[in-house]
Amino acid sequence: MKKHVVLNVNGEEHDIEIEPNRLLLHALRDDIGLTGTKEGCSIGVCGACSVTVDGRLVSSCLTLAIACQGKEITTIEGLAKDGRLHPLQQAFLEYGGFQCGICTPGQIMAAKALLDGNPNPSEEEVKEWMSGNLCRCTGYYKILESVMAVVQNKVRTEDLLPRERIEARIQSLDVYKAEARTHGSKSHG
Amino acid sequence: MAEAEKFSVVGHRVTRVEGYEKVTGEARYVGDLQLPGMLIGRILRSPYPHARILNIDTSKAEKLRGVKAVVTAEDTVKRPWGAFFADQYPLSVGKVRYVGEEVAAVAALDPDVAEEALNLIEVEYEELPAVFDAEEAMQEGAPLVHEGKARNIAMTIDVERGSVERAFAESDVIVEDTFESIPQWHCAIETIGSVADYAPNGKYTIHMNTQTLFSARMRVAAALGVRETDVRIIQAAVGGGFGGKSCDDNNPIVAAILARKARKPVKVINSREEEFLAGSRPRVNMKTWIRMGFKKDGQIRAKHLRIIADNGAYSGKAPAITGVAALRHDTCYKYSDVKTQAYLVYTNKIPTGAFRGFGNPSAEWAVEQAIDEAAHELGIDPLEIARVNAVEPGYVSPHGNRVTSCELKQCIDMAEKMMDWKQKRAAKKPKTGLGLACTVHVSGKRHFGDYDGSSATIKINEDGKALILSGEGEVGQGAATALCQIAAEELGIPMEDVEFSQADTDLTTFCLGAFGSRLTYVAGNAVKDAAAKAKQQILEMASEMLEASPDDLMVEGGKVYVKGAEAKAVTVADVARARLFRRSGAPIVASGSFDADSVLPDETRYGNESGAYNFACQAAEVEVDTETGQVKVLKYVAASDCGTVINPIGAEGQVEGSVAQGLGYALIEGLRMEEGRPINPNFSDYRLPSMRDMPALAHAFAKSYEPTGPFGAKGLGELGMDPTAAVISNAIFDAVGVRVRTLPITPEKVLKALTEKGKS
Repeated sequence: MKKHVVLNVNGEEHDIEIEPNRLLLHALRDDIGLTGTKEGCSIGVCGACSVTVDGRLVSSCLTLAIACQGKEITTIEGLAKDGRLHPLQQAFLEYGGFQCGICTPGQIMAAKALLDGNPNPSEEEVKEWMSGNLCRCTGYYKILESVMAVVQNKVRTEDLLPRERIEARIQSLDVYKAEARTHGSKSHG
Repeated sequence: MAEAEKFSVVGHRVTRVEGYEKVTGEARYVGDLQLPGMLIGRILRSPYPHARILNIDTSKAEKLRGVKAVVTAEDTVKRPWGAFFADQYPLSVGKVRYVGEEVAAVAALDPDVAEEALNLIEVEYEELPAVFDAEEAMQEGAPLVHEGKARNIAMTIDVERGSVERAFAESDVIVEDTFESIPQWHCAIETIGSVADYAPNGKYTIHMNTQTLFSARMRVAAALGVRETDVRIIQAAVGGGFGGKSCDDNNPIVAAILARKARKPVKVINSREEEFLAGSRPRVNMKTWIRMGFKKDGQIRAKHLRIIADNGAYSGKAPAITGVAALRHDTCYKYSDVKTQAYLVYTNKIPTGAFRGFGNPSAEWAVEQAIDEAAHELGIDPLEIARVNAVEPGYVSPHGNRVTSCELKQCIDMAEKMMDWKQKRAAKKPKTGLGLACTVHVSGKRHFGDYDGSSATIKINEDGKALILSGEGEVGQGAATALCQIAAEELGIPMEDVEFSQADTDLTTFCLGAFGSRLTYVAGNAVKDAAAKAKQQILEMASEMLEASPDDLMVEGGKVYVKGAEAKAVTVADVARARLFRRSGAPIVASGSFDADSVLPDETRYGNESGAYNFACQAAEVEVDTETGQVKVLKYVAASDCGTVINPIGAEGQVEGSVAQGLGYALIEGLRMEEGRPINPNFSDYRLPSMRDMPALAHAFAKSYEPTGPFGAKGLGELGMDPTAAVISNAIFDAVGVRVRTLPITPEKVLKALTEKGKS
């Protein structure tokens, strides 16, 4: 029997009709359309499906969606704010903290949960905490480096995402100028 | 780095071209795709390692509400397919040969209905005697996995160069030993999956996470019984490949068969258990007997190998992998007299296949340990024995491999320095030891037909941005970024003005894809050629605009200048528009190609297999707990010669990831099987290295330049994991004087070896 459930994800409420045994992972991906959260092992070992619920890190492949009603769920899609990357996202980009990218949303969510609770973890604490998130590409060195870069305030985040930069530019552009530029200047006047 | 100063983009620490998508969760992997009316496909797999199929009754499954298609071999052309030997069917025909083999499949409205439908398919099997060990399978009278394959032998290699008999007679020291490697699973965090669609015009479109699109197209078309162009493969973002996604499995073919029958798009994504059972084909496990002869100074005089390689039930790429294991290492050290006998043997287990290293890690597990044994017997520092034998530029291996650039000796020097090898050896602590090993790898390999090339098209858009159209694809290793750097450097435009297309067999020219450490070198050369040709068109147009000879022009930072009169300039965008928007206008577009100067090895396996060879030396310091057998890696160093480093972030990542996989292979990984049935096909029982397992790692790249490579670059992707298992074992021997000869080196095995040593 499907039930009506309201999930608050990244500050937005979603009304969905789901079976009571629907996993949070599948509710996020298939019912709400937030596919940034990934399924890796389906048994809560690899961490690819990591999200936070009321600030606590959970494996969404082991969490019932229905149990998350009235709670604040944050996924990777909720990290960039006002067109700017979260410092962890920026760090993973600059320090090469990913390769194939499939475990990356989970890695970043796990790191965020750690730093939200403890902004100054030691390298050993980061290693211990992040050991719940498997990565087969990087050997973890650059993930560790990325997280430590944030801990050490080495990451700047004032840059807008390219998409947002383009948005900003469009709004400041004279439409006719843009038209002229597109079609070339001399031959088309 | 000094070289980087010569280049404006190459050699610089560049962030990934697909980086924003990946850190925001917006990259689209195959599991994220939805097509209108899309169904979910599930596969019914054999529960038996070897059985005859007497009957399949799908009638109950077909009647279940929500089921849109049920397929068996009767829905196929029953045509076998395979990379080298056509020996497997998309859905079993008459017999199953391993636990996990695809027998039937369903497409339904949702996963629950699909699962339920699988349970309603009734298959009547007659179990047959099965064989699980390659050596047993070679015995007369063993059950035959494939009729007509006597003693289950799929392929034999028997090669001798020079005379090992004479060379052993001339040796001062001879070592002889036997080593066993294991199947290792890729364990990409994303499993194999496909979304297949079948159009009214008879064309299949398959969105896949494959690393080799055109090979996938060729094999899928063969299995479906259609022409190549009746199949279009589009690459989704790939969540890790490592060889496992090079299309030797049936996933996309079953998805296509379901889509045809249902007349709807069908998504088939392997569960983690399916991925272990029948998804990515694990590393070919080998049992290697080795005999090597040395002169007093450590010089290698003779080598004789006898390899028994476990093919599993179907061949995939194992024939080529066995060839690499048999012969490749003879390009790492100076060899003259070598003999290799290798047997690839069918068993009733999951087919083995391509995994980073492609036969090299299994072979080096044996050869590099035998050399270490000789060093200890001769009383020579293992580092010196490597130095004595290391190949140099100009070397030609006994099998015809021609070495152009080679900085193996430099790598040995760097490993020595990074490890403080001499000081640590001089002040050796009890239970602590040092080990090292060297390796060679190819930069592309001529073995899929007489072609070891690539092609690419570059178009310069009206806004001055370049788009590389390439079918090579990106599997997460960073190829797209490196290829964009090469194009930007050649064109003289900024990195942010170069884009890399999604790989799509309908829109790009033929490309072999990501394997054999080939993309930077082979595809890089093709992209560079396309860029050079596009640049020529830019210069010719600009010469009209600037009223100067093309020879007097230069392109830098996206602008075309007259040399010596830099104020006279036009942008590349101006040039592209001027060439297009005029009478007889035309876009700036150029196709480039490259085929490596390699030779398809002859029937005796003689021939230069690759255009360039890359080299590495790795060393480890370990500490062994003699109470528990636990091995702790204190420090790991990796020195690599990949020619010019195109992107240091990417190159470092390749080495770091390789070492992690190598350490997993050496110490913890492995699937336990009983009677052909995996007993731990999941991530809680098949352990992978995690962050806390990783040792301190130092690595360095040799100052090296490959004359035939793009801006001096050659391959790197696999190099880093080839020697790792042997490095660890050699270090354990140095620490406590025991050698574990079967992978993985578990604490139990170390402890057992220590106990046995204590008794003797």
